[in-house]
Amino acid sequence: MVRARMITGEKSESKRRFCGNCFHHNVYEYPDLILCNMRYESGKDSIVSTLGFCEHWKPAPQECFCVKEALKKRDQNCNP
Amino acid sequence: MVKREDFLREPVVHMKLNSSMTVNELVQQFGNAGCFGAGRLSTACDIFERMTRDEECTIFLAIAGAVVPAGLRTVIADLTRKKLVDVIVSTGANMFHDLIEALGGHHYKGHWHVDDSILYGYHIYRIYNAFVPEEDFVKTDMAMTDMFDEIAKKSKGQALSSREFTREIGSRLKDSKSILRAAYEANVPIFLPAIRDSEFGVVYRFHRKRRFQEELLRVDAFKEVLEIVDIVEKSPRLGMVVIGGGVPRNTIQHAAVTAHKGLDYAVVITMDRPETGGLSGSTLEETVSWGKVKKKSDRIMVIGDALIIFPTMAAAVLERLGDKFVRRGYVKWLEQE
Repeated sequence: MVRARMITGEKSESKRRFCGNCFHHNVYEYPDLILCNMRYESGKDSIVSTLGFCEHWKPAPQECFCVKEALKKRDQNCNP
Repeated sequence: MVKREDFLREPVVHMKLNSSMTVNELVQQFGNAGCFGAGRLSTACDIFERMTRDEECTIFLAIAGAVVPAGLRTVIADLTRKKLVDVIVSTGANMFHDLIEALGGHHYKGHWHVDDSILYGYHIYRIYNAFVPEEDFVKTDMAMTDMFDEIAKKSKGQALSSREFTREIGSRLKDSKSILRAAYEANVPIFLPAIRDSEFGVVYRFHRKRRFQEELLRVDAFKEVLEIVDIVEKSPRLGMVVIGGGVPRNTIQHAAVTAHKGLDYAVVITMDRPETGGLSGSTLEETVSWGKVKKKSDRIMVIGDALIIFPTMAAAVLERLGDKFVRRGYVKWLEQE
């Protein structure tokens, strides 16, 4: 069963591409907003949603709780 | 030959406490006992008081170790405003933590017994039992990157010393509790001899990434050597109070020896040991061998937590000096600018 999940590439939501689990992120307003270092260094608008993503997404080597907590907050707001 | 009775001149006077005693009264009881850390702290207060009353003494304050995030920020800013400190030599990190609060961030009371991987997950940094949220660093980084751009534009490619640089920063702050702001207002120079070894280095990288070469901020590490030695040369007497040690302590000591003058007064507050040969733990007697501190000087090392020792010493001395005491400070060097 576990193997099957791996083969089909199923991912938990917190493993999906989000700015909040990208290598280039730092916290700006936890857990909703992050600072994208890549955008900041290139002079672009650098405060982005934790749950956004772009083509430069690169997985973070160690996971933090940003995505998990942002998703939880989003779900709570959707289902008050 | 020292006689036997020379060793037995002063009996220990046991401390006596009461419900209404002041900080200075407690310190005087420490002095009456005169032993261990209590005796050293009492001596440190006496030496610091003598420094402040000596109108021809320039008082250097060395700051190393994370005392600004841990709660000494306002104490240092107030002493600076009162001119009980003439020159500050600090780690870059302590001044960056001053900036974090000046620009709206905070430090939090935490605990040393905590799962640091959870802190990592929450983007919270730990300094022993003080916590700093990452966003407060990030927001300060962003504000400081803008400030770097401004200062670079103003200086038009000319290299600044760290003293000139900190003065530029202080002039742009509004927070009256800030050390950098207090130093700017009181005309007290702040030197950061290891500036890049702190978040200032991160900010520089951001600044550099978005600026052309000709628009870059330049801080010249050697320029300040001449400035601090000049202060030493123009000061009839020299005193230093050291919190921690390391680079800030030796910057002062080295300036003294470069000017062929030793320090006349020295108070060092540390928990480090001398056996490593490091500057934070080296004894003041060892310092005499280099000519950095005079053989005939008022000097003491207090082994203890600077968060306890320094404010106790400052409070006792402020009490002794009284509200009407005004110290002008001897650094005339800056007034010529």
